[in-house]
Amino acid sequence: MKLNEREFIIPIGPQHPALKEPENFTFRVDGEYVVDVEPRIGYNHRGIEKAMESRTYIQNLYIVERVCGICSCSHQTCYTQNVEEVLDMEIPERAKYIRVLAAELERIHSHLLWLGVAAHEIGFDTLFYYIWRDREVVMDLLEMISGNRVNYAMPTIGGVRRDIAEDKIPQYMKMLDVLDERTRYYKNVCSTERTVLARAEGVGVLSKEDAIRLSACGPTLRASGVTSDIRADSPYLVYDEIPWKLISYDGGDVLANVLVRVDEVLESVGICKYCLEHLPEGPIRVKFSPLSKVPEGESVSLVEAPRGELIHYIQSRGKDKPYRYKIRAPTLGNIPSVCEKLRGGYIADIPIVIAGIDPCFSCTDRMTFVDEDRGKRWEMTGEQLRRYGVEWYK
Amino acid sequence: MSLMDDHKRLLDEFTEFLGAENVLESKVPRERRALVTIERDKLRDAVRYLRDREGLTHITTISGVDVGEEIEVIYHLTKKDLSLALKVKVSMDEPVVDSIVDILNGAPLYEREVHDLLGVVFKGHPNLKRLILPDEWPEGVYPLRKKWDIDKIRETIDGKKW
Repeated sequence: MKLNEREFIIPIGPQHPALKEPENFTFRVDGEYVVDVEPRIGYNHRGIEKAMESRTYIQNLYIVERVCGICSCSHQTCYTQNVEEVLDMEIPERAKYIRVLAAELERIHSHLLWLGVAAHEIGFDTLFYYIWRDREVVMDLLEMISGNRVNYAMPTIGGVRRDIAEDKIPQYMKMLDVLDERTRYYKNVCSTERTVLARAEGVGVLSKEDAIRLSACGPTLRASGVTSDIRADSPYLVYDEIPWKLISYDGGDVLANVLVRVDEVLESVGICKYCLEHLPEGPIRVKFSPLSKVPEGESVSLVEAPRGELIHYIQSRGKDKPYRYKIRAPTLGNIPSVCEKLRGGYIADIPIVIAGIDPCFSCTDRMTFVDEDRGKRWEMTGEQLRRYGVEWYK
Repeated sequence: MSLMDDHKRLLDEFTEFLGAENVLESKVPRERRALVTIERDKLRDAVRYLRDREGLTHITTISGVDVGEEIEVIYHLTKKDLSLALKVKVSMDEPVVDSIVDILNGAPLYEREVHDLLGVVFKGHPNLKRLILPDEWPEGVYPLRKKWDIDKIRETIDGKKW
């Protein structure tokens, strides 16, 4: 990066306690303004694609689920339907509904988690605690359905691994009602509370043209006024049978991101209720032997993960292991957009703008501020930057 | 017109534009999916045509596959009802392909990823630096190429067997 005499370089990252994974941004700043930003990822690259090439299709079910702790079900859904497409396998209707149910519950918990993090980033910790308390309802629901809070292991090649107990459905419905009521309350808070508006309105704007130009995806794209959602554009499972509304807001700022996600939680609650009410009878899976070979072929699988468009690509050579498996998670697709959002903004807004795309890496823990003019160098933690932002807005 | 017919029409017009000799393979496996393999030199023309004429403005990712003598570079281009995989093949000895970052602004990080992990050089990319592997990673070690496995990589990095 070339600097003029007014500008400074601030590397932020790779470690950050607020979000889950490491990532580094190098900021060029002029006073309080961000002039340019350059991302550097890879601190959490685990070589999963390579690992999948040397494991069988059944073993890969468990590896692919561990790509991400928050959207584990999206990856597994994407993987299973990818393999099923190469196998030319049709799964039972009931399995499709249960997969949708798990995927939407995951979306609810992921969006509520994000909403809490966003509240924390702007210094509104009361809201953060309230949201995360209510998020426990969906975590309990997931645990009741799958036996697990995090990696649910619901989809498997040929269907799902666990059935929904009919006698528990009334209880699930009650829990979904609680989520619906609480989310409506948070929607009201987020769109009227001054603390939220002051930090979110007009901050980190991404125009519709830029969102399309930079191939943004998911809620980030929909918050910029683009109506694009894999569930509608390239329907998988039974999304074309279930009534649901595609959410999109104009504005492209952090507030629009908040509102898109809050509304999507409400939609997801509706989808979950529909699935439970219309659960078809029948088996939950067709047989796929662990020793099965998958015929030669290739396939592209798309899923709308909580953070956006998730793509898996498979090439099979007729063995019991994939020849090549490619995964692109939505966060990578949104990095060019977040850089665009940060340019021209305040340093104090960095935490909330980066959090705004709901990144599945993290941004900062230790950061070094370099004063190029005076040759000075000082360090700050991510927590300090968050506080800096909160204080700056007082 | 059904979706399948529309996809076929797209591929027919695309083949006509690019010239049949430059389109090595094209198929529509199902609704909302299409796959085209083209000559490497025609990549930029193809991407520009698909963007401007067919509205494939969104790039989902770029996959690289080591298929032995060659590396397949697959551009996953998307519009509302179609995900098209545009494939070019580069030789293992000279893995070079034109960059498309000025045509599709969403592509820079994907090109850097394929460059990092498979050693494909994207000619004209303004900033083809490391993205995923560590800065001190040895030159010429491309983990997603089939000849590299974990033991071999460890041996190269640490200079001893594990």
